Amino acid sequence: MLSTTAMRRAAIAAACSIAATSGMAQETPVKGGRLDLVVQPEPTSLMIGITTNGPSLLVGGSIYEGLLRYDENLEPMPSLAKSWEISEDGLTYTFHLQEGVTFSDGEPFTSKDVVFTMKDFLMETKSKWRAIMEPVADVTAPDDTTVVVTMKEPFGPFIRSLSYNVAPMVPAHVYEGTEYATNPANDTPIGTGPYVLAEWKRGSYIELDANPNYWREGLPYLDDVVYHVVPDAASRATAFETRVVSVLPGGSVENFDIPRLAAEEGVCTTEKGWEYNAPLSWMWINNRTAPMDNKKFRQAIMYAMNREMMLKVLWNGYGKVATGPITSTIPFYDAVEPTYEYNPEKAKELLEEIGYDGKELRLLPLPYGETWQRWAEVVKQNLKAVGIPVEIESTDVAGWNQKTSQWDYDLAFTYLYENGDPAIGVARNYISSQIALGNPFNNVEGYSNPKVDELFAKAATAPSDEERQAAYTEVQKILQEDVPVAWLTELSFPTLYDCSVQGLVSTANGIGNSLGETWIKK
Amino acid sequence: MLRFILGRMVKIALILLAITILNFCLIHMAPGDPALVMAGEAGDADPKFIEDLRAQFGLDKPFIVQLWTYVSHFATGDLGFSYRQQMPVSELILDRLPATLLLSISAFLISLILGVVAGVIAAARQGKASDSIISTIALLFYATPLFWMALMAVLLFSVQLGWMPAFGYETAASDMTGLARMLDIAHHLILPSVVLGLFFMATYVRITRASMLEVNRLDFVKTARAKGLKPSVIQRRHVLRNAILPVVTLAGLHAGQLVGGAVLIETVFAWPGIGRLMFEALQSRDYNVLLGVFTVSAALVLMFNLITDFTYRIVDPRIRLK
Amino acid sequence: MSNFWTTFKGNKGAVVGLVILAIVLLASIFAPMLYTTSPWDMVNMPFMAPGVDSSVPLGTDTLGRDIASGLAHGAYISLLVGFVSTIVSLCIGIPLGAAAGYFGGWVDDVLMRITEFFQVIPSFAFAIVLVAIFEPSITSMIVAIAVVSWPPVARLLRGEVMSLKHREFIEAAELSGQSGFTIITRQILPNTISPVIVLASMMVATAILTESALSFMGLGDPNVMSWGYIIGAGRTVLQQAWWISFFPGVAILLTVLAFNLIGEGLNDALNPRLAKRRG
Repeated sequence: MLSTTAMRRAAIAAACSIAATSGMAQETPVKGGRLDLVVQPEPTSLMIGITTNGPSLLVGGSIYEGLLRYDENLEPMPSLAKSWEISEDGLTYTFHLQEGVTFSDGEPFTSKDVVFTMKDFLMETKSKWRAIMEPVADVTAPDDTTVVVTMKEPFGPFIRSLSYNVAPMVPAHVYEGTEYATNPANDTPIGTGPYVLAEWKRGSYIELDANPNYWREGLPYLDDVVYHVVPDAASRATAFETRVVSVLPGGSVENFDIPRLAAEEGVCTTEKGWEYNAPLSWMWINNRTAPMDNKKFRQAIMYAMNREMMLKVLWNGYGKVATGPITSTIPFYDAVEPTYEYNPEKAKELLEEIGYDGKELRLLPLPYGETWQRWAEVVKQNLKAVGIPVEIESTDVAGWNQKTSQWDYDLAFTYLYENGDPAIGVARNYISSQIALGNPFNNVEGYSNPKVDELFAKAATAPSDEERQAAYTEVQKILQEDVPVAWLTELSFPTLYDCSVQGLVSTANGIGNSLGETWIKK
Repeated sequence: MLRFILGRMVKIALILLAITILNFCLIHMAPGDPALVMAGEAGDADPKFIEDLRAQFGLDKPFIVQLWTYVSHFATGDLGFSYRQQMPVSELILDRLPATLLLSISAFLISLILGVVAGVIAAARQGKASDSIISTIALLFYATPLFWMALMAVLLFSVQLGWMPAFGYETAASDMTGLARMLDIAHHLILPSVVLGLFFMATYVRITRASMLEVNRLDFVKTARAKGLKPSVIQRRHVLRNAILPVVTLAGLHAGQLVGGAVLIETVFAWPGIGRLMFEALQSRDYNVLLGVFTVSAALVLMFNLITDFTYRIVDPRIRLK
Repeated sequence: MSNFWTTFKGNKGAVVGLVILAIVLLASIFAPMLYTTSPWDMVNMPFMAPGVDSSVPLGTDTLGRDIASGLAHGAYISLLVGFVSTIVSLCIGIPLGAAAGYFGGWVDDVLMRITEFFQVIPSFAFAIVLVAIFEPSITSMIVAIAVVSWPPVARLLRGEVMSLKHREFIEAAELSGQSGFTIITRQILPNTISPVIVLASMMVATAILTESALSFMGLGDPNVMSWGYIIGAGRTVLQQAWWISFFPGVAILLTVLAFNLIGEGLNDALNPRLAKRRG
């Protein structure tokens, strides 16, 4: 199994690197120019060590940097760490930092900042980081440019947890000893990244200027970057058509608009830049109540849904029908059975078999725009066709969070990021220790299976990739049989851009982590 | 006069206080709270994180305590802090208010001027073709859903003809200053303000027309005619002056509706005003911002009404005589 | 009554309005028979332009649902919300206005302060908040629209009652010892019916507009096909598929126009004094 996965990944890598070199060879980057893009919705803050929503990361990723960046196969690349070593036993990580890096306020960036960020700052601001630090024994700085992380037990996913969005390096001299959440520096972000905040006109735009003292020689190419705040999807499409903006980051226009915009002359499209997040959509099924507590009823839901059609009509074919809990772009994915083809007859049989009484289910759509609303409507029609009546509950973001985190739903749409590794982004949705009221991102469905708990635990700390793969393959089989949630699609958010924009996406984290190398062809 | 103003001020303060309390209660009845929304946005929702946020916002205190805290701050003019936007509510609103005022006042002037002029013309040509054409057009605009008219206007003037920018307040980060910037904003202002203005124009047309016709029949106009004054002078000096009173009343009533209409227009045209701020705050349960916007817009309406009253006193010859 | 009809028929606009309203009413009654399947069913290819396929004369939406079917089913929702919310706001506005006008004094003061209070809050914004709080549904929309639209009723009633209060027949009734409640319900209210009907017809129009605006903002009932919903759902594809947003917009426009025209016709027919004044 591993060999096929590995081979496939190697093949993709080869294909991509050919494409990349052939693209790069022709042109030499030119300096100068301004890049206009949209950000939706408006970020609430640019201090991404505290605020980690998508829009904040899109903008803040050009201001802050992590120790590592990741290529599209999620292999680590140098960023603030120039190089690194992992000891044989997997218990010691040594990072060598770049030299001559300064924060945008002129102070040098050193190992002291790394230790502060990892041990103090992020521990207080991010629960996700606290989880990552659990197997970590200590973080030390033997000298100004070396950081050593020692582990209590091997934890493979650690090396994929050091990107800008998980662990952005923040200046110790600004934050040490202060109240992080209310530090005034949050409004004037100070990072090591290629750009610095120039102006934020709330409700209109955010303008970043090139960081004149950026540590990577000759970068960034652009003079400035402007993120336009346009709250209406149709207006964002118009903004792109009139080239007020030349980049529409994935997800910023409704899917229906994508084919039309992509077909225009001089418009390029890429689906890259989402490999790290690997968003997977599914419906929570509340396993606690009848009839959803019956495995066969949940399987019937899977058979009743025409997911191919949903992908084609709602997402214009972008993305992929999901097979199970792990996205196919994430390490340790395995194409195991059972998968669920559209088969309404089979669904009806299963419902008959369990003697389903026709109880009406409540369906909570995701309040993220028209596509999700339409999606709920299609699911409703699909389920109605096999005899499951559904009532769509209307709600906004606050209501959705409230209802899912309080388990007050029958079926509820969601999508979550897998964050580079199943141990980080997948296990949380299926292991029983993650059944906790008040969080819409944990084991919301209430599925509990000791075997699954054991396998996920084993996979996270197994010393070798082979052992990890074996455990993940088995857990995928069990989950796909049990259908704790109804997996829908591996989402793809294509980025549309004017073809004159070059080097827009160069990492698995997409535009948020790539603009330092972006340039505009004259 | 001073007593009149003082009395009105006290009344305004009381109404604002009542509005604040009512809205505070209503908003806190809504499902979900800002801590959950923020946790959701951060994709980071362990109970400690949410509890910390709630403690930070004071949401862990009993409802009555929260209300008292808000009202006592409110009494000193403090509208609170938006935790989600990380800035004081008053700053946030002041930032957005000019855009809404610009839009509303332009739309108001457009509707008032067009409406009164069209109404006067219609009245003068009573029963003729131009009268029914004006009345029909006015009625059509009145019956058209505002957001639909906005969409159709964008489709026609921005997408098809390319005459107007489709959205926004100004060309972003254009570094324009002075006159160039003002012209740029004016260019962006045309579509939203005209669409909003045309909707309200209809009522002015009808009221002005009806009022002109009524005043025309009054005795003093007949006297003026008998004295041999020129018809145009009679219309301007005597008839319009008296006929304008109901128009002033209507204008005062429209203030509130303009703010409501601005929510729709600001959404379609991506206009960075307080209408949009309100809608966003509502969806993320940013309580303080939502309350702040309501208080400020109610204050605006009350001020508008006050201005209407003054105008009434100045325009109405009878009141002035007293 | 015959006099009423003669005047009403004399108003061409009112007759046009009545014809449009009749069509909308018929559509809302016969929609389930004309279109036996649900308007949510995906019956054809998505993005079918009008006139291409005779089975979907007005085209299909983004999911291949029949726009004509949606319009027919949506008529019912528009009328339902329009009428019911108007009735509810009359039920709030009439008693408050009548009490304020009849009793005067502190009762009037208190009631008018409350009315003013509701008039000061921007009504559409307030409706949005109410619907969001009580979760979008037909009921919450009706309640929200009623709550924001009763103040004009109360003001109208108060004015009418105050002018009637000192008429001889009311004073006679008072002298004969009838209670305030009886006088209001038996003597005064029947005499205010004409202006209330006129106002109500205009309110139905406004309510339909408000319903469509709420649905457009995504605050409609997700389980019913309404005109505002179709426009909102079609808005992002305005450029590829103008027909999705166009036809329901026309439907709203015509229906609202019809109620306004009828309102004017009623005004002329029921208030001859006003009609003359209007010329």
